[in-house]
Amino acid sequence: MTMIAPKESGSTPSPVLIYEKVRKLYGEFVALDEVSLRVDAGEVVCLIGPSGSGKSTLLRCTNALEPISGGTIYFDGRALPSVDRDIRKVRQRMGMVFQNFELFPHKSALDNVAIGPMTVLGMPKTQARERARALLAKVNLADKVDSFPSNLSGGQQQRVAIARALAMEPEVMLFDEPTSALDPETIGEVLNVMKALAEEGMTMIVVTHEMAFARRVADRVAVFEHGTILEHGSPEQIFENPETARTRDFLSHLGWDG
Amino acid sequence: MTLDWSIVWEYREDLLHGVLLTIALTVITMIVAIPGGIILAMMRLSRSRILSTISLCFVELFRNLPLILVVYWAFYVMPIVLGIQIAAFETGLIALCLNVSAYNGETFRAGINSIREGQVNAGLALGMSRWQVMREIVIPQATRRVLPVLASTWVSLFKDTSLVSVIAVGELAHVALQIRSQTFRVMEMLTAMAVIYWLLGYPQAKLVDWIHSKFKVAE
Amino acid sequence: MRPCVTAQDRATERDQRGCLLEFDFSPVVDSWRYLLDGVGISLMLSVWTMLGSLALGAAVGLGRVYGSAWLRVPLVFYIDTMRSIPVLVVLVWIYFAMPLLTGLNLSPFWSAAVALSLHIAAYVAEIIRAGIQSVREGQTRAGLALGMSTAQVVRVIVLPQALVRMLPAFGSIVSVTIKDTAIASVIAVPELLRRSETLAGQSFRPIEVFTAAMLIYFLLLVPATRLIDLLYRRVAHLGRS
Repeated sequence: MTMIAPKESGSTPSPVLIYEKVRKLYGEFVALDEVSLRVDAGEVVCLIGPSGSGKSTLLRCTNALEPISGGTIYFDGRALPSVDRDIRKVRQRMGMVFQNFELFPHKSALDNVAIGPMTVLGMPKTQARERARALLAKVNLADKVDSFPSNLSGGQQQRVAIARALAMEPEVMLFDEPTSALDPETIGEVLNVMKALAEEGMTMIVVTHEMAFARRVADRVAVFEHGTILEHGSPEQIFENPETARTRDFLSHLGWDG
Repeated sequence: MTLDWSIVWEYREDLLHGVLLTIALTVITMIVAIPGGIILAMMRLSRSRILSTISLCFVELFRNLPLILVVYWAFYVMPIVLGIQIAAFETGLIALCLNVSAYNGETFRAGINSIREGQVNAGLALGMSRWQVMREIVIPQATRRVLPVLASTWVSLFKDTSLVSVIAVGELAHVALQIRSQTFRVMEMLTAMAVIYWLLGYPQAKLVDWIHSKFKVAE
Repeated sequence: MRPCVTAQDRATERDQRGCLLEFDFSPVVDSWRYLLDGVGISLMLSVWTMLGSLALGAAVGLGRVYGSAWLRVPLVFYIDTMRSIPVLVVLVWIYFAMPLLTGLNLSPFWSAAVALSLHIAAYVAEIIRAGIQSVREGQTRAGLALGMSTAQVVRVIVLPQALVRMLPAFGSIVSVTIKDTAIASVIAVPELLRRSETLAGQSFRPIEVFTAAMLIYFLLLVPATRLIDLLYRRVAHLGRS
């Protein structure tokens, strides 16, 4: 895989995303309670924690699929806009991969990947399809270009979904439990694509239950519970020396003993 | 009871003319009522409270009224309200269009709503506008779900055209009943009328079945 | 001044001559009992039609699902025929032609009840078939595995679930039935629409009379469907397997 921006430890990190005391309420229910976090360029941040702890909610607030109830989210130095047209511009710079893949069933793999550039960036069809072809090759699906989602396995669909998000040349990739809906055999192929992406220097926020992946690929891990971050730090810190008892509980519940 | 079926053959031209009018009513109504239904659905799903309410009222009104009453109402009321004399054919057509548009409005609304929110989110996450999401993702998928229902509505419409006979529109039912009154050949004409409708309607019903099986939505 | 009745009238009204384009609901109000009796007939016809179509439709529907092949052919033919022919045609045939064939002279009301039942029963049969077939096959297998007979499986496991699933469709049958009773006006059954026509003719106030009729039908139909909706939402969970 080509290296786009090699990660150097020691270079001044530039924050891509800053979450400042972010609150999200669904009626009375507090999904996010003053969450503060910073994500630097080229970092891979994994969000772990029990279901319902707010990880996916934070992701959906990041690209404004959900509006926040309090606090601020800064992207590239500016707060997330509220005007529809400006929000769309922001979303073009972020890529999102969903747990259920959400490929468009009425379009082939090629057109699924090309639809972003074509519709949103106004790219001509041939150019968009060329880009799509290259990206599908990159995720090892060059031979499935004309297949429709219903003819692809879960792992293949998710890789197409990753290619679709990459087609917009985003600065940040948001992964919402990308492997939770996959058969064990196909999880590996998706994680490999994500690992390669990380090595190229892509800024990634990954909500996941795959602890081995977090351990190996993440630069930082944040542990969520009840809408707050219990603790965050390097994978070594979190997995080997968790500070709080609740983190230890959570990890042991997953059967994680290092 | 002596039956003289030759009467059917004798009046074949009039009956054929009636059939053509029935078909014309069906086709024209659908041409109007499909865009009509889409507009009503979009209004209902729009963010404007006013448009949404207007659409809801329109749909609820015409879905909860007997079509035959709407036909009568259109016949008596429209000339007075509009101040011009409208022919029976157009009046019947208007009543049919109002009725079927309302049904289609509901059909399209349900079809659009049935598209999973995740699909919309996926489109929005790519930076598409709501309108682009509608156009590229929701409507193409909704069409697949909507087609079988539209096919059933078509067949119902075809049968409902018989109701405009009450305001003397010369479609098949009216023609057949007229001939019956003139010739007193009750059994022959009424049976012939039923058979002709059957010959036209049965293939359509079977086509609808085929469409339903072909567009079966597997989630 | 006489009220406006024709388009010609409307034109002259603009010149301040001729007729009144004011609404006068007094004929409606004066004849409220006449119309109310019409509503009664409409509802009676609806009830008899629903009973008839449910009975016949259930028989046909169950026959289609559980019957032998030679039984299914005529049943499917009957269902498809009713899907192809307008209800008006069936109604008129039953009232005018059937007596010639059978010597049996039915009153307009009962002709309408029979014709409407025959027509709607076909839809009921389809709903029942679809409802039964929507219950997962695994449910039937589980019942048989316990040693139940087919009849027991149908009665105890399949039908209860199927009936819940059919509820929304039955709601639309109620609605269709009430609407179709209006067609009975064509053979002079003295239901609401027929009486509205008569009243409109006598009072020269078609707008007011037909508007009132529309209001009454609307007020009859909306609660009927809403009620079934409510009922379904209460029991929907019972049908999920």
